[in-house]
This record gives sequence, C-alpha cells and structure tokens, in this order.
Amino acid sequence: MSSYIRQAAWALTLLGLLLPFLASAQTLTGRVMDQEKHTPLIGASVLWVGTTQATSTDADGFFTFTKIPSGATALLISYIGYKPDTVQVQGQQNLVIRLKAETDLQEVTITGKQDRYSAMTPTNSQVITSKDLLKSACCNLAESFETNASVEVSTTDAVSGAKQIQMLGLDGAYTLLTIENVPSLRGLATPYRLNYLSGTYIDAIDIIKGMGSVLNGYESISGQVNVRLKDPEKTDRLHVNLYGNSLAKWDANVNTSFSLNKKISSVLMLHTDQLSNRVDGNKDGFLDIPLGKHYNVFNKWKYNSGGPIISELGVQVLTENRIGGQKDFRSGMAQVEGNPYGTESETDRVSAYSKTSYTFKSKPYQSIGLILSGTNHQFDSHYGPRTYFGEQNSGLANLIFQSAFGNTAHTYKTGLSYQYEDYDETLAGKNYTRQELVPGAFFEYVYQNSKNLTLVGGLRADYHNLYGWVYTPRFNVKYDFTPNTILRLAAGKGFRVANPIAENVGSLVSNREFMIPDNLRPEKAWNVGGSFTQYFTLGERTGAFITDYYYTTFQNQVVPDMYSSPNLVIFTNLNGRSFSKSFQAEVQYELTSMLDVKAAYKYFDVRTSYNGQLLQRPFIPNHRAFLNLGFATPFDKWRADLTAQWFGERTAPVMEHYHESPIKTRTVSPYAVFNAQVTRAFKLWEVYLGGENLLGYKQKNPIIAADRPFSQDFDASMIWAPITGRIIYAGLRFTIK
Amino acid sequence: MKTLKTLLFSLLLTAISTVGFAQGGKKNEEVKFKTSAVCGMCKATIEKGLAYEKGVQKATLDENTKVVTIQFNGSKTDAAKLKKAVNDLGYDADDSPATARAYERLDECCKKDKGAH
Repeated sequence: MSSYIRQAAWALTLLGLLLPFLASAQTLTGRVMDQEKHTPLIGASVLWVGTTQATSTDADGFFTFTKIPSGATALLISYIGYKPDTVQVQGQQNLVIRLKAETDLQEVTITGKQDRYSAMTPTNSQVITSKDLLKSACCNLAESFETNASVEVSTTDAVSGAKQIQMLGLDGAYTLLTIENVPSLRGLATPYRLNYLSGTYIDAIDIIKGMGSVLNGYESISGQVNVRLKDPEKTDRLHVNLYGNSLAKWDANVNTSFSLNKKISSVLMLHTDQLSNRVDGNKDGFLDIPLGKHYNVFNKWKYNSGGPIISELGVQVLTENRIGGQKDFRSGMAQVEGNPYGTESETDRVSAYSKTSYTFKSKPYQSIGLILSGTNHQFDSHYGPRTYFGEQNSGLANLIFQSAFGNTAHTYKTGLSYQYEDYDETLAGKNYTRQELVPGAFFEYVYQNSKNLTLVGGLRADYHNLYGWVYTPRFNVKYDFTPNTILRLAAGKGFRVANPIAENVGSLVSNREFMIPDNLRPEKAWNVGGSFTQYFTLGERTGAFITDYYYTTFQNQVVPDMYSSPNLVIFTNLNGRSFSKSFQAEVQYELTSMLDVKAAYKYFDVRTSYNGQLLQRPFIPNHRAFLNLGFATPFDKWRADLTAQWFGERTAPVMEHYHESPIKTRTVSPYAVFNAQVTRAFKLWEVYLGGENLLGYKQKNPIIAADRPFSQDFDASMIWAPITGRIIYAGLRFTIK
Repeated sequence: MKTLKTLLFSLLLTAISTVGFAQGGKKNEEVKFKTSAVCGMCKATIEKGLAYEKGVQKATLDENTKVVTIQFNGSKTDAAKLKKAVNDLGYDADDSPATARAYERLDECCKKDKGAH
C-alpha cells in the first residue's frame, strides 16, 4: 500500500515540475513557400515530430501553433508534389520554410510520418510499417496482418492451406490488392495470393478501409490493401532471413540491391518455402497443412535521373506446388474409392509492371504518369477425383495526368485506362471462358481548403464488352475539427465480375457439385461509412482513438449457397438482400516509452439471402476483440510482442437433416488465439523466437466424414478455427546496409 | 607442421597485440566528434547506430552544436573505430567525411547539402 502512496507522491512532484513548462508554452508562427518560385503553399501539413500535433497552412501559406507540445523540437512539413522537410525550431517564434518540388509519382500520398493511423490522408488509412512487419512470423503477406486489427486472415478449408483476407466482414475478393499501386493478384490468383509475396519483399503496407480512389479501377468494394515493395535506391545491400518452425516448414529469403550507376538501381529478391513433413496433429488421417514447395523471384528496377523523369520496372516469377489430403496419399495416385484421398495443385505465374512519371519543370504540382502491367497465371489442380485447371492472361494500361486549377487548393487527377482479361477455366470437364475488354476514363477532383477540409470527388466511366457501361462514383470528405480530432466520410460504388470457382476453392475440397449457371451477372455494391479519429496526449504519452462504421449493400452478388443442400454449391445471382455492417473501435497508446498497446473491438453483421431467406453469412462471428502489446528496449535491441485475438460465437450450417426446410443453422463456440514473438538485435544480426496459437486451440473434427472421403458427405470447407495446434518458430536475419 | 607453427605464431601475435591494446584503453573513455547532422532524425540515427557498436556505453548528440559525445570502453574499441562508425552511418565526423553510400541512403532531410536550416 505504501508503495502506491509513494508512487502518487512522485507523480504529484513530477506534475509540479512539469507545470511550469506547460505554462511557459509559447506561440509559433511560420510560412511555407515554394523554394524556387517563392509562392506560398496552401494546405501544406505541419507536424511536430514525435507527436500527433499538426496543422496546415492557410491561403497565404501561414500556420500558427498556440502551444508547443513539451519535448517537441522539430517540425515536419509536407505537401503534395514537394519533398517533405524537417526544421529545428529551437526557440524561434517565426519561421519561413521553403519546400523543394519533388519529382515522384505518388497516386496515394503517404508521407514519411510513421504514425500507424495517418492524420493526413482523406481516406481512413493505416500503415503497417517495416517495423510492424518484423513482429509477425515469417514470411508471407498473410502473416503481415497478424498485428493489425482491421484486416482478418482466415483459412478457407482444412486441406489446401489457402488463406484469405477479410475486411468489413467481407471476403478478400472485395478488397482491392495493389502492389506499388498497380492492381495485382486478381482473378484466379485470389485463393492463394497471400502466399505469393514474401514478407521480406515488403517495405510497408497501406490499408484503406471503405471507398478509396477511382484511379485504380472499379473493383474495390470493402477497401484497398497496397503493398509497397523495397525501394532499390534505399534498401539494404544484402538481407538474409532464415526461418524454421516446429512442423519442419522452413523459409529462406535473400534480398540484394545494387546500383548500376547514379541513376539506375535494382533489387533482386528471392524466396522459397518448403514443407516435406507430414503433419497430422488431430489424427483424422488428413494432413493438417499440405506439403509444399514454393520458389519466388522478384526483381525491381528504378531509374531516377534526379530530373523530371522517374521510372520503375518490376518482374515476378513464381512456381508453387502443394500436396494435401490423407497421410498415405502420394502424388499421382488414382483417385478412386479404396485409394487415399489427395489434393494437388501447381501454380505458375509470371507478371511484370512498369511505372513512369514525368513532372513538369515549371509546375511541380503537374505530372503525367503511365502504368503498364501484364500477367500470365496458370493453376493446375485436383481435389480427389475433381480436376480444376485455370489460366488467366491480363493486361492493364493506366495513364494519369495530375494538375491544379488556378492554385493548389484545387487539384485534380484524370486519365484513361484499358483493361484486358482472358480467363479459361475447366472444372470437372466443363469449360468456362471469358474475355473482358474494358476501356475507361476517370476524373478525380481534390479540394483542400487552407485549414481543415479536404473533399475528394471521383467518377469513372468504363465500357465493358460484356456488361456495357459501368459508372463508378466515389466521394471522400475529411474534416479536422482540430488537428487532433478528425472526421472522415466515404461513399461510393464498386463493380466486379466474380470468379465463382477461384473464389470458392475451399469448397472444392468436398464432394459438393458446383452448380454455375450461365446467367451470373457482375457484382455491384454501394459502400457508405466514416471514421472518427482522436489523437490524444495522456501523461506525456501520445495515443489515438479510432472508431469507424461501414455499411455495404449489394445490388447484385454472386452467392455461393452451401446451406440449401449438403451435396451442392449453388451459385446464384442475389435474390433479396445482402449487406455488411461493420463497426470497429480501436485505441493505441504508448503506456511507457518501452510498451505500446493496441486494443480493438469489432462488430460485424453480415447477412445474405439464401434461397429467399436472409441469413447470417456462415463463419463470420458478430463480435471480435484484439489486443496487441509491443515491447521494445531503447534502440530496439530487444523487442517482444504479444497478440491476442478473440472470436465470438458464429453461425455454421447444419448439414444433417438437410431435407427439412427451412435451412437450419447452429452456433459454434467462441475461442481465442495468442501469438508471441521475441527478437534480439545485434549490429548485423537479429535472432527471433516465436509462437503461433500458443494455447493450441483447434477445431474438433474439421473435416466432415474424414473417414469416408469419397462419400457424398465428405466436406473440408466447414472451417472456423485453427486446424494446426501450437506452432513454435525461430529464425535469424542478417543485414548489410 | 610449418603451417601449424605459422598459425600458432600468428595467434600469439594477436594475443600480444590484444593485450597491448587493452592496456592502452581505460574502461570509461569519452570522445567527441563534430558531425554533419542536421535534424532530429539525424540524432536518432546516430544515437541508435552507435548503440549497436561494440564497446559503446552511451552516445548523445547535441542538436545545437552537432557534437556527438560517446562514452566507451577503451579495452573494446577506440576513437578511430568510432569515427569510422559515424562515417558509416552517413555523417562526417570532424575532418573525416561520411561514407558515400551511407550518405546517399539517408533521408532527404538528413543530407547536409539539402537542408536549408
């Protein structure tokens, strides 16, 4: 008890010592100008480094802080089209800051600030920084979201090991995935796409919830995940990451970067992961995760003349094969009753993209950019006796012109795009082909007043060869009540053509027949929502409170109906309603200089009409909670992380007595998953040790009729919890800067 | 046999030189360099970088004078090594210039010829 009193006394004394500093806080004013033209910059952002105190410049380029946050000594000034600058204040009360025009193409501007929730973007954006990426297990994109509350990663079935992301309670297919702001890993790549990018390739990940920009096409409905890859100019000369876990899965990653000359630099990134150990922890006779071999190469080039032209080129080649099913299954065994059941898949993918931007010399806010990308994706697989082959060829061209009306308070981006898609799929002997040719045009206007209001209005019109004109309007509003209290609203429309087989690969691991009618229409949805962000300082430490709500309603959706019959997956156009209501509240706070806390609560209500009956989407829990504790000693010599995720009750279809109507459901019980990791850093080396699913929670009998895989009842797609128990892993990183 | 001899001899030499070196250094030494730091970010970079150097106990950069004060264990490192460590982080240390590659990798705001402050 006495220690509490002593602590209280200390706290009071400390407060007494601090008060004079708070009282002596003074006013600081300044002006932000263009370095060459000496014109004021309107709406430039001014932030106290190390705090969340920020403001923006007015119509004459002026800004004012009535109070200097204690401990803050430097300002970070940033502005679209200009290089951000840090300025020491040191007792000055008047500052003139001159920013230099930047020659870089940034469709989504994320500033150098490492706040996880950006105070500047008009959309509800978060950044998973390179430091956050080191907190999760090695080595793919799926694991990168482990310490983030907004994106969920779930397993699709108990055999193939495929993982999907979810945002707003909606399938990953509704989230636009971009690499360097170029749409990628779409269509047939969707089921395993999180595997195709190694964590070591990634510099940072931007997550935009709700409606984003029209620049990247009409597809995004629930949000956008943008992956920024390592920058050849800045990244380490050599980075090696080796990983192994208790299932005997291992990963090896090597990145190497070099400069040909002052203008041309390149980074070559290699990844492989392999599992050849047969694991059956739950003794159901099936492998918990498939055996696999994966080789992946990414080479990125950058041309930076230092002048107006910047160019980037990326090429990726990968091959992956997986073998799953019963323990005794070996590749090539005939899939007939009496033999072991097995699944095999092989993916071969080649893709390339290029980005080139030209910035007008006399007008740093004006630029023109060209994005080109192309992909060939092949997927060859069988699930027991059922074979599935898919090939996709795609090409994209996107031309973006960015400029301003009069002054830089009114900027716009406009351009033209052309998308080519060629799909050829064969499932159980039946062929499905589709060719899409989509020319389009878009315009996005951004108004930024001198202080606290940003409006973004975008519209795109595309002409789809199969479905005619597609109009996509999108709006974003950001209003700063104070620099620390920010409201954002977003509304807009999304459109996409579903790929029923690829998006439901998990259901192929059953003996359900896929019923795909010819009359499926494209999916269309409206998404409306907003977020409220409050940055705060509590006892000298900063934190943020973020809450958001999004409502998505589908005008049409391709609904995979697994409720109506246990022997079929019936794909239909939406007949009735389908919606998602998503609420999230999150607090981030630095408890001490060494301990960071993130806690979140989420509520989802996702319902779809199945056969005329409005039902909860299977396996989406209503309530979820998330807690992350991040610990780091000074200079990050020791780092430790603990993440807990709790999932509430969820609805699952009842497969017995299916002939009785109406459709029956049951609820499955809540559970929690704990992950932890410890890292020790040395000058060139880092070693890490961690564990996933530490309490070892497992779904009992994840596979229905596991003992009769060739029977009508067999189904491995009814998955809501981990299949593998506790996994312990260790690894090391070696870096030469 | 000859190789073994050479090996033993060189080992011996190393041992002597290490001892000799250790005698030269005291446990708590201090050295100051004037650096080319320009901003608060540079301070963080230099202090963190030096914290990972062998033998360094504490490194503090004074943002006003740009002088970094390093307390180190003289039996584990020496002033010349520490000067090179600062150079390898991308900053000049007294008259010794920054390593070119490290300097290029610095953020724009940390480059001495770019900052207008």
